[in-house]
Amino acid sequence: MSPQTTRRRPSLSLHPRPRTAAHPIAFPKYCTLDQWRETEEACHDCCDGSIVEDFPEAVPRRRSAKSFSSLRHPMDGLVALGRRLSVTLRHKSSKNNMEIEDDSPNYQVASHSSHKRNVASQSWDKQSRTWSNNFSINRRPSLNSVTALQGFYAPTASIPVPIPGHGMEPPILPNDKFSGAAARAAAAAQNEQVKLEMTKRELVSNVSDVRLDSESGIGFDLRDQSDAPDTGLDLLRIDPVSYLPSEIMAQVLSYLDPVSLMNAESVSGRWNQQASSPYVWKHVFRSAYPQRPVSSTATKKKQSHGLGKSIPNQDWKRMLLVRRTLEQRWKQGKAAAIYLHGHTDSVYCAQFDEKKIVTGSRDRTIRVWDAHYPWSCQKIIGPPPGDVSGSGPVNNPAQQATGKSPFVTICPPSTPSVSIVTPMEQPADYHSASILCLHFDEEIMVTGSSDYTCIVWDIKDDYRPIRRLSAHRAGVLDVCFDDRYIVSCSKDSTICVWDRNTGELLRKLLGHRGPVNAVQLRGDLVVSASGDGIAKLWNVTTGVCVKEFVSKDRGLACVEFSDDGRTILTGGNDRAIYQFDANTGELVKELRGHTGLIRSLHLDSMNKRIVSGSYDMSVKVFDTISGELSIDLPGWTTSWMLNVQSDYRRIVATSQDSRAVIMDFGYGLDGIDLLEE
Amino acid sequence: MATPQIILTSSDGVDVAVERTVAERSVLIKNMLEDLGDSGEAIPIPNVNEAVLRKVIEWCEHHKNDPPSTGEDEDNRRKTTDIEEWDQKFMQVDQEMLFEIILAANYLDIKALLDVGCKTVANMIKGKSPEEIRKTFNIQNDFTPEEEDQIRRENEWAEE
Repeated sequence: MSPQTTRRRPSLSLHPRPRTAAHPIAFPKYCTLDQWRETEEACHDCCDGSIVEDFPEAVPRRRSAKSFSSLRHPMDGLVALGRRLSVTLRHKSSKNNMEIEDDSPNYQVASHSSHKRNVASQSWDKQSRTWSNNFSINRRPSLNSVTALQGFYAPTASIPVPIPGHGMEPPILPNDKFSGAAARAAAAAQNEQVKLEMTKRELVSNVSDVRLDSESGIGFDLRDQSDAPDTGLDLLRIDPVSYLPSEIMAQVLSYLDPVSLMNAESVSGRWNQQASSPYVWKHVFRSAYPQRPVSSTATKKKQSHGLGKSIPNQDWKRMLLVRRTLEQRWKQGKAAAIYLHGHTDSVYCAQFDEKKIVTGSRDRTIRVWDAHYPWSCQKIIGPPPGDVSGSGPVNNPAQQATGKSPFVTICPPSTPSVSIVTPMEQPADYHSASILCLHFDEEIMVTGSSDYTCIVWDIKDDYRPIRRLSAHRAGVLDVCFDDRYIVSCSKDSTICVWDRNTGELLRKLLGHRGPVNAVQLRGDLVVSASGDGIAKLWNVTTGVCVKEFVSKDRGLACVEFSDDGRTILTGGNDRAIYQFDANTGELVKELRGHTGLIRSLHLDSMNKRIVSGSYDMSVKVFDTISGELSIDLPGWTTSWMLNVQSDYRRIVATSQDSRAVIMDFGYGLDGIDLLEE
Repeated sequence: MATPQIILTSSDGVDVAVERTVAERSVLIKNMLEDLGDSGEAIPIPNVNEAVLRKVIEWCEHHKNDPPSTGEDEDNRRKTTDIEEWDQKFMQVDQEMLFEIILAANYLDIKALLDVGCKTVANMIKGKSPEEIRKTFNIQNDFTPEEEDQIRRENEWAEE
């Protein structure tokens, strides 16, 4: 836990820079001392946790020390070691006897060539050739015979025999034909012992296999060597990092999962060097967090997945660590609350990307906010508003008793509207009533209003209004679009399909018997949710309703259509989220937890999260796989939740209390900016 | 009808006959045959001994009808360390033979076999502690306690 990990940004003069929990002094008034104590306690918990975790990791070292001492001092250990060595040495000698009898050196040729081989050495083939020409029966015997004999001689293991050492040389083990490895192994007694133990174990366990093989292989057919290595399967232990060229080893390591790769880094100096390569970490990151191919049916602007940028010198390992920490925070429900003040009435709708947050309000304005510190309002589109004097109560502590409250609360000062308001000369240029819905992509933004119309804005040209779409006879409750169509739905119970490029009304989808509260578009399919309690699936090109998904009881307020077009989620007055199979129409799951009307839903398939906002004033996160409630965020605002949307690090929720709140799980996380796309 | 055969000479001087289509799983051999034409002479494979060469040919025989890999596979094969059953059995050899097969696949430019080999080694590492990896490959831990400590600290999740 490092509270100093706050992202360093140039300090701006307008407000003290918000900090993480350990710097309560810098907090605005809303961070009470109690809150700070809580977070501090949480910090202590974290610290304790990490100390406890230290112990198990220290064990291997201690263990090795123990085995070391058992080698040096106690007689028992020496005798035991002697016994083991005697076994192997006996085998060694018997092996030598065998060697003269069986002349099957061909298989060993390769082995010998290899032990001289250097990592990534281009000369290996030369050596290989040299050795391969060097047929000699005084090389190691075939494995068949050796292991067979080892099997047969196993019973003698219990007889203590003096160790015939070669002067100061370490004892020769059956598997030390890779002399480099063996020499290094001999340097450390603890490893030697481990190896001895393993060797012994394997000899015993291999007896039966070995017999079989020795029966079949004892004829030593020179042409049939391919099976031979199987017999020695467990005896041969070679460090692949010294054996394989580094580019091949890099490919091996790039198949690992992050934890295995970290373990690989801790194996030895050379492994560390090999495993730390950015190439390897990039691949491991990319397979842990695969980039989805852009779906042709996806209509809404894609949320950032927090997968970082493929730039030179990208620190993929650090990204992975940051990403894991971020996920940890999602699991714990640990997020900062950043309140966006400015609107003077209910904030009905919002959408955000990595750079900006756009909100629409009952106060008839659209605001564009900086998605980063200091989260200032950069633009107001609409009639000139009066400035908000105070920011009012921020959250509802009484509500938070059961769920997760912000670990830090930040209220950036509201920006004076004079400087950021876009002058609109004609009232025709903006909505004359509440902004009920909005949607943007890289090029345009479409807003829908209680003034019965939609306005299409040019997002690249400073939000210049392009055209107004008029056909509805009541407020426009929701809007969505792709590169062909704009689809709007209204309180007048109709759905209008417009040509995105010309603004021409192409058709009306008629059939709902109540206000159509929400609409989503995937390819040729439109799904709509109505206050009449029915969600309908429409073919947008023919205007035909192809399927219906009925709620159990009351009206629907929101709908989500998965990117792959297979799943439909609906929410509403039943206080449950219904999950339907879009193809069969079958109700797959019912997610429960809310105690009020579910007003807004967001599905993040990649991170397996369903985020919901409710009139019970909570935002909840459900796991898409299990359907379980994973995070409960109650009372972060003082009134109904009206809109929620999430990406890899945050949820942006808007409330009837005239604010939008960023629930930022990445707040103050050092390196979080690496994940920005 | 007999398929045309070619002769490969292993590093240890053994001639091995193999169907041309099988041998052409190796991009190296395929290019060689295309460039030089099939003169009927034995092709020397100086980097691969007979035992390994036979093993590689066995693999090529089994996979001779596989569709050629495309660019899309490149991404897919990255994503998984799943190995089909036959290949798993095929790779049940001692470590030295396994590494030799990988080196041979690399030299002979048989991408699919190289992948299977690398995945096999990756699966030997996966899910293991550093000490278990050391045991698996008989590796000496040459870190000082301080170095080990530092690596552990680097790899700690920032907030754990």
